[in-house]
Amino acid sequence: MQLGAATTAISQSQSAVKTRRPSSINWGYSITSWLGFVPFLLFCLLFEILPAVIIIQNSFLDSNTGALTLNNYQTMLSQPSYVHAFQTSISLSVVTALLGAFFGFFAAYGLYNLRTGWLRNLVISFSSIAANFAGVPLAFAFVATLGVTGFITVLLLRWFHIDLYNGLNFSLYSFWGLVLVYTYFQLPLMILITLPALSALRPEWKEAATNLGASNSVYWRRVALPILLPSLIAATMLLFANSFGAYATAYALAQGSINIVPILIGFVVNGNVSLDPGLGNALAMGMIVILLITVSLYTAMLRRVSRWQGR
Amino acid sequence: MAQVVRGTNLPGRGQIYRAHKPARRRFGLDKILLTLVLLYLTVPLGATLAFGLSIGSGFKFNTFMSAFTDPDFSQTLLISLGLAFATTLLTVLLVTPTAYWVQLRLPRARPLMEFLALVPFAVPAIVMAFGLVEVYGTGNTLVNVLSFGLVPLLSNEPFNVVNTPQLLVCAYVIVSLPFVYRPIDNNLRAINTKVLSEAAYSLGSGWWRTFLTIIFPNILPGVISAALLTFSTVMGEFTLASLFGIYTFPIYLNATGQSDAHKAASLTILSFFLTMIFVLGIILLVRIRPGRPGTEDRLDIVATK
Repeated sequence: MQLGAATTAISQSQSAVKTRRPSSINWGYSITSWLGFVPFLLFCLLFEILPAVIIIQNSFLDSNTGALTLNNYQTMLSQPSYVHAFQTSISLSVVTALLGAFFGFFAAYGLYNLRTGWLRNLVISFSSIAANFAGVPLAFAFVATLGVTGFITVLLLRWFHIDLYNGLNFSLYSFWGLVLVYTYFQLPLMILITLPALSALRPEWKEAATNLGASNSVYWRRVALPILLPSLIAATMLLFANSFGAYATAYALAQGSINIVPILIGFVVNGNVSLDPGLGNALAMGMIVILLITVSLYTAMLRRVSRWQGR
Repeated sequence: MAQVVRGTNLPGRGQIYRAHKPARRRFGLDKILLTLVLLYLTVPLGATLAFGLSIGSGFKFNTFMSAFTDPDFSQTLLISLGLAFATTLLTVLLVTPTAYWVQLRLPRARPLMEFLALVPFAVPAIVMAFGLVEVYGTGNTLVNVLSFGLVPLLSNEPFNVVNTPQLLVCAYVIVSLPFVYRPIDNNLRAINTKVLSEAAYSLGSGWWRTFLTIIFPNILPGVISAALLTFSTVMGEFTLASLFGIYTFPIYLNATGQSDAHKAASLTILSFFLTMIFVLGIILLVRIRPGRPGTEDRLDIVATK
C-alpha cells in the first residue's frame, strides 16, 4: 500500500515536471496496447461477430435472388406454424424458468438455513454436477425413467396400476414432458445462482429490523425480498435464456417432432425440409432479438445487485 | 457467530429471538422443498441406472458392460477427448494472456471484452452453427470485406475449415467464452496484477516472463476451473457437432438411443460420471488452494443444452 502510494506520488511529480512528452508517448503506447488485443479481437470477429452479422444481413435478403426484402419476416409472421413455434418456445422457457426460479429459490433457502456443513457442501457439489448434466444424456435419462418403457412408468403400472401413457394421457415427448426435462437443469442452476445472493444478506439487517420490532414476515417483505429481487429477476432471465436456446435436449428427446424454434433452425441447417434458408435467418433473428432483451434485462439487474452487495 | 450472540449475551435480544427460534429449528417449508428438489434431481439418475442394468425381469451386469465394447464407443470417445483437449488448450492460450493484457495495459477495452464474453448468451449454439455454416459455406462480399479477406482464405483449399474439426474447435472456444473469461478476470482482479507486474518489471523481467512465472501461477485456480468447465462442455456438446457432421460421443449416444434404450442408459450413466469427475475436479482444485479468501464465488455453469 505504502509502496503503491509512493510510486503514484513519484509518477505524479514526474508528470508534473515533464509536461510536453506524455502526449507523444501515449500514442505509441496506446497503439501497442491495442495491438496486443488484436489476436483475440480477430478470433472473435471471425467466429462470433461475423456469424451474427451474416444472419442479420441474410434475414433481409431473398435467398434466391439476393434482393433486399422483408418477405422472410412476412412469411414468418403470417404462417401459423412458425408463430406457433415461437409461442411454444417462449411458453416452454417461461414455464421452466418460473418453475426453476420458484422451487430453486426455496431449495436454496433451505440449503442456506442448513447448519450441517458437509451436507451443504454435498448438495452444492451435486447441484453443480446436475446443472452441467444436460443435453443428450439428460434426455435419455428421462427416457429411461419416464419413457414408454421407463423404469418409473413400469413401476407405477405394476405396483399402483397407474398407466401414465394410456390412462393419464401423459407423454414425455410432448410440451409438458419437455417442461419436466428442462426443469431438471434449471433447478440446480437456480440454487447455485441464488445461494451467493442469500449469503450476501447481512445478519445486521435482520438484527436491525428485529430491534425495530419487525416480525420475520415483515423483515422478508420489507427488507430481504426488495434486496434480493434484482438477483432473483436476473436469475430468472438467465434461466429463460438457458432453456430458450436449448436444442440438444429437445432434439434427442423428440427427434424433431416438437415444434420449437431451435428445432426449426436445425432443419434449415441440415437442409432436409422444404424450409427456405432466408426464413431460417428470420427465425434466428427472432431468437436473437428475444435473447437480447433477456440479456439486457439480466445485465441491468446485475448492476443493481452490485450496488447493494458491493460486488 | 451470530448464533452465539443470540443465545447468551443480551437478555432482551435473546427474548426477541426466542420467538422466532422454533421456526428456524422446525422442518419448515423450505426444507421440504429442498428435499423434494433433491429427490427430483436424484430419481432419474437412479432409475436410469436400474433401467440400464435390467433386461426383462432380472438384473444383468453383462448387458451393462456390453455397451462399452462397441468399437464406435471408443472411437467417438477418443474424438471427443481430442476436441476437448484442443479446445481447452486454445481457450487458455487465447483468453488468459488477453485478459492479463486488458487488465494491465488496456482497461479501456474491458467493456468490449465483457461484451464479447456475453454475446454467446444472446446467440445460442444452434444460431451460431447456422451463422458459421453461412459464413464459411457461401461467398458473401460483406463478410469478405469485414473479415479483411480472412474468410475466403479460410474457406478455400489450403486452409479450408468448412466442416472440419478445426472450425468446430474454434466455435467451441466462442461457446466457452462466458464461463472462461469471468473466473480468470476475477482472479486477475483479486491478486493486484498491477503491483505484481510493476515489481517484476522493475526487477528486469520481461512481459512474457512476468506473465508465465508471476501472473499465471497466481491465477491458476481460475484457469483450472475455466479449463475443466470447457473440457466438460465440449465432451457433452451435441448441437454444433451434429450440424457440422462430426461424429463425436454425444452423437454416438443419440444414435444408440434411437435403437437401444438400455444401452443408451448405460452410456448416460457413464456421461454422468464423466461430468461428475470434471465438476468435482474443479471444486477440489479450486477449494484446496490455501490462503485465498473469496474462492467461494460461484462456479460458472453454462453447459450447452
